[in-house]
Amino acid sequence: MSSDTLHHTDHGLATHHPQGGWQRWLYATNHKDIGTLYLWFAFVMFITGGVMALGIRAELFQPGLQYWQPEFFNQLTTLHGIIMVFGAIMPAFTGLANWMLPLMIGAPDMAFARMNNWSFWLLPPAAALLIISLFVPGGAAGGGWTLYPPLSIQSGMGMDLAIFSIHLLGLSSIMGSINIITTVLNMRAPGMTLLKMPLFAWTSLVTAYLLIAVAPVLAGAVTMLLTDRHFDTHFFKAAGGGDPVLFQHIFWFFGHPEVYIMALPAFGIVSQIIPVFSRKPLFGYVSMVYATCSIAILSFMVWGHHMFAVGMPATAQLFFMFLTMLIAVPTGVKVFNWIATMWQGSLTFETPMLFAIGFVCLFTVGGFSGLILSIAPVDTQMHDTYYVVAHFHYVLVAGALFSLFAAVYYWLPKWTGYMYHEGRGKFHFWWSMIWFNVTFFPMHFLGLAGMPRRIPDYALQFTDFNAIASVGAFCFGLGQIFFFFNVIHTIRGGVGPAPSSPWEGGNTLEWEVPSPAPHHTWETPPDLATVQRGLRAQAVE
Amino acid sequence: MTSLAQRNQKMAIKLAVIALLMFGFGYALSPLYVAFCKALGIDQAQASITQSSAALRLEFDTNVASGVAATIQALDTVQMAQAGGIVKTRFLLANTSDQPLKLRAIPSFAPVRAAGLLQKLECFCFDELVLQANERREVTVVLLVADQLPAEMGAATLSYSLQAVAQ
Repeated sequence: MSSDTLHHTDHGLATHHPQGGWQRWLYATNHKDIGTLYLWFAFVMFITGGVMALGIRAELFQPGLQYWQPEFFNQLTTLHGIIMVFGAIMPAFTGLANWMLPLMIGAPDMAFARMNNWSFWLLPPAAALLIISLFVPGGAAGGGWTLYPPLSIQSGMGMDLAIFSIHLLGLSSIMGSINIITTVLNMRAPGMTLLKMPLFAWTSLVTAYLLIAVAPVLAGAVTMLLTDRHFDTHFFKAAGGGDPVLFQHIFWFFGHPEVYIMALPAFGIVSQIIPVFSRKPLFGYVSMVYATCSIAILSFMVWGHHMFAVGMPATAQLFFMFLTMLIAVPTGVKVFNWIATMWQGSLTFETPMLFAIGFVCLFTVGGFSGLILSIAPVDTQMHDTYYVVAHFHYVLVAGALFSLFAAVYYWLPKWTGYMYHEGRGKFHFWWSMIWFNVTFFPMHFLGLAGMPRRIPDYALQFTDFNAIASVGAFCFGLGQIFFFFNVIHTIRGGVGPAPSSPWEGGNTLEWEVPSPAPHHTWETPPDLATVQRGLRAQAVE
Repeated sequence: MTSLAQRNQKMAIKLAVIALLMFGFGYALSPLYVAFCKALGIDQAQASITQSSAALRLEFDTNVASGVAATIQALDTVQMAQAGGIVKTRFLLANTSDQPLKLRAIPSFAPVRAAGLLQKLECFCFDELVLQANERREVTVVLLVADQLPAEMGAATLSYSLQAVAQ
């Protein structure tokens, strides 16, 4: 079958026009509509989780108990973590994949349009369960986002709601992943072999595989938790012969790959943006692909580094320590390739590039603090201190979130048809960059000085750095409201219409369609010449 | 040649099967974990009490419910029980208030299956206890140990929590 017929016969839906009003969104099957839904949902969750973070920082502004009871403080930290990971970062990346993958690989839509609608609409009820849990007797889950037993076995019905919510979120992720893998593997334009795909497609593909492998393991772990709570099973209940440490093993078998589920798509985005604004093809495309796969494989073998403090035999500690350090190798390959891409390029510093460079610098800081934590004897000292909080916020805020901001500014002209206000974009970047560091850098010192995480009150000597971090957090939060108005301003016309390819160095296929991208694109797949032209971004034509 | 829709469907089914297998793998980690711990000899609770396969290490734990002005202390916190033997252990109770107290001790076991191996012949937890103001009293528990002790159970904890009895 020629690829031409292939695209037409298998996409009956493509002839549909969007319905009006709420029906367009409720019954959405178009990848762009669903991508938009995902992105807005992620933004709402980002603000919700962010407000919770500000609640945490307000309490920690000075020692003593100011605003919250310790139980509620624990609920805030727990919900902040779960909402940011499962409600904001992951759906945002799925949203980007939905919006951009078909455009970038020359497919008319995602492989399973109706399942795509389901994957999204499972998210709002899941989020509602989490929010409702704040108002049930006993309050929301308060055992941290890791849900460690025995606390999670003993706590109230808020934990059950969190478990059901995680089930729904996991189901949504698995369905989204099936869609991404099938689309990338089966629906690429003719001439686009696997090793010629844009790197964002590669990282989305590998991330989707990771999710299919580990999301069900988390679902199993929380199901066991649920049956331990209500059906007298004893997987983790010590009184019945179960072992709470087993939960930690199962959780981190999911949890560590999860870290890369949030990092790999960011790597993909940055790998798209840096070559464009350096006006050079990506340096070492193939090594980037191999590095992505290596990171994914290694991520399954290092979960034990989250558990150095549980009393592991020295051999096991060494095993997990060396493998963890090994991940720095492919990650280093990526960082050096980005730097080499910029090296002697004709760089310009529009907002997406600023966020991408910010990502590379700060993610590297987060990577180094991770390397320090990977050393078992050091980890024993740092375990559950603010050093760890600083480390993972450098990876997840300066990593995942900054890459998402970069992506939004990069593709906003394609989504809306209008150019955003460059000055405002740059202001958003610098504001976020400065206040992010004011918030999280002092946490390294707090951790090194021994301040434990997840506490509502602290010893007097930690006051100054906590006050600085709290001021930073509120300013950082304020900047995100500015981002919202920036996006709204662009949607309403921005600084004028955007051309189909607003960036000088943009080569990939999405820049071949008009801005805003029409409701249906690539009903006829791009011809070989167009695909070849798009490959310049990777220098693999 | 199969159509794209068929190929997509086939792939979706394969991926869904992988997801289901991984869900099962999560559960399989439970027995695998026990097997690994045994095989690698890192079951520390077991290692410390393997002098005799017929011996069971008994640990005694005590608690007082909040707001009860009393203390309880196990005088022998750890004892080794031999199969078929009798274990006698003592606790010291004290009323720390200036009022008489009516108390009851609530017993519990961990792991729960140890309850079947240890039969209480005598226990201060059988009865309500009345302690006069500032009175201290020694009480006992006598346990009959089962004839057969399973090899895999190395240790058991017996816990007693003092609760106030409504006057």
